[in-house]
Amino acid sequence: MAAKTIVIDGVGGQGVRVIGNTMASLLAVMGYEVTLLFDYDSSVRGGMSEAFLAYDRKPISNFVVECADVVLRLADRGPTHLTTEYVIADCDLMKPGERGEEIPFMQLGVDKFGRDLFGNMIALGRLLCVCDVDFTDKHLTEALPKKYIDENIAAIKYGYGLDQDSIKALVPEQAASSFAERYAEKVLAGVAPAEAVELASARS
Amino acid sequence: MTKRLVQGNEAVMLGAVKAGASFFAGYPISPSSEILAQASVYAASHPEFRFIQEEDEIASANAILGGSLAGAKSFTATSGPGFSLMQEAIGYGHKVGIPCVIVNVMRVGPATGMPTMPGQGDLNQARYGSTGDYTSIVFYPSTVAECYEYTIQAFNAAEESRSPVILMSDAFLGHLNEVADLDTIHVPIVPRTLEPLASGGIRLFSGVATYPDGEPATADADEFIRQYYESRDHRLEVAERYAFHEYGWNKDSDTLVIAFGITRRIAQPLAAHFALFRPIRIWPTLDKELTEIAARYKKIIVIEGSDGQYANVVERMLLRRVERVPLLGGRMSLEAIREGLDAIGMLPAELAPSGSESPARVG
Repeated sequence: MAAKTIVIDGVGGQGVRVIGNTMASLLAVMGYEVTLLFDYDSSVRGGMSEAFLAYDRKPISNFVVECADVVLRLADRGPTHLTTEYVIADCDLMKPGERGEEIPFMQLGVDKFGRDLFGNMIALGRLLCVCDVDFTDKHLTEALPKKYIDENIAAIKYGYGLDQDSIKALVPEQAASSFAERYAEKVLAGVAPAEAVELASARS
Repeated sequence: MTKRLVQGNEAVMLGAVKAGASFFAGYPISPSSEILAQASVYAASHPEFRFIQEEDEIASANAILGGSLAGAKSFTATSGPGFSLMQEAIGYGHKVGIPCVIVNVMRVGPATGMPTMPGQGDLNQARYGSTGDYTSIVFYPSTVAECYEYTIQAFNAAEESRSPVILMSDAFLGHLNEVADLDTIHVPIVPRTLEPLASGGIRLFSGVATYPDGEPATADADEFIRQYYESRDHRLEVAERYAFHEYGWNKDSDTLVIAFGITRRIAQPLAAHFALFRPIRIWPTLDKELTEIAARYKKIIVIEGSDGQYANVVERMLLRRVERVPLLGGRMSLEAIREGLDAIGMLPAELAPSGSESPARVG
């Protein structure tokens, strides 16, 4: 396989380093070759903070990711030259033309685990799921810091367990938006409006 | 130790310890601060290793010279403006002949510049930053594992040459986390070559030109010239044993790319199209090796994180024109390289952006 490339886009203090470090450690524990580079502004709080992560079974040479398989976007300060296949974003951060999903990670951290900080681990779980990383509890235990380890594992597993239906349930407007896109697709393809409604609904 | 994620700056610290370093003095500055932080943590549990955070980089550089004279393998780590402040002490170290290692994790300058962004603009300063003529030995690794390996080599070269040796790095390499097994890297350690002060005999450590008996030789050109050539020839002879470089990629190409440090890593996708020469020993320049290799190629391109500092060196060395791809403002990326190659008409068609087939653009 070619190296899998991930960019985590955020601002200082949001947890970009925590997510990047944890995922890189997990992949290293699983025996992957991993590169992880943090690129950040000298303004520690509120400045741009990026993590470029690549992993493969072979050593990785160019570790500066310019075409990411997945971008995890917690804020929109990312490199202007980046292209991506798929975006996982916190709410209202997806852009027109992008393929991906919006999930209220920080809100879920509060709702499910009592603190917004656990939103980072939920995001990591979703990222691992989208990247199809097949880890075990042992891998997680080795990779995670000991502090809050049980809560962190629970949050990662919660994020990993999110599927398209549960994401749409969390963000109804996203489901509506997806419906509208599918409906428009069908109508433009010449499907009669009533049938288009039916087809668009059936796929949601 | 097994394979694990190691940061470039961490690897420098581990390499220093492996080389036998027992004294670090420094002042925090991005992007080198992790070396200082880890030295302080290490010192807390290893009483044989001494650490001091100084009030500035001038004090740091002078402290490691003092530490070395007192018997310790010593080092410091800094970046751009801090490296500027250390230049007087570096000159003193060359004059007196004091082994030590100075790590410069380069950022974009001049002055404060872009503190967290990678640059390669301190090459000339690493060679010519202090006053007068002296022979500087400078290494620049490209990987985290090499950060470890060439830190050890820097200490070895410092001991053998009895001079301050510079280890270059940059913001990306220093902050890069990479899987490495440092235990598989075996570099013989050169033991301490300088007797500590107070171990008997007379020792001179004056920056003033002196005769061997300590009398001032401040108006004796013959004595100055004798001492200068003696130290220069010795350091060049030592440097010959550290002629580290890489020659590879597509050797059948008609074009040779010269890239080093972080740019060599980023330029890897060019491997099918060009030959590569990577100097690891940046100074003294690898004249013999590069002259021989360059003669096989019609064209030469230097890709570097400055506006032609190394390209100018290569042109002077080879007495022929070289093409330049400067990566400025911290924009160290394949796209920046592609743009640079395109600007000089040397972008291979296969590397041109595919346009409509590109995934969604972000930002």
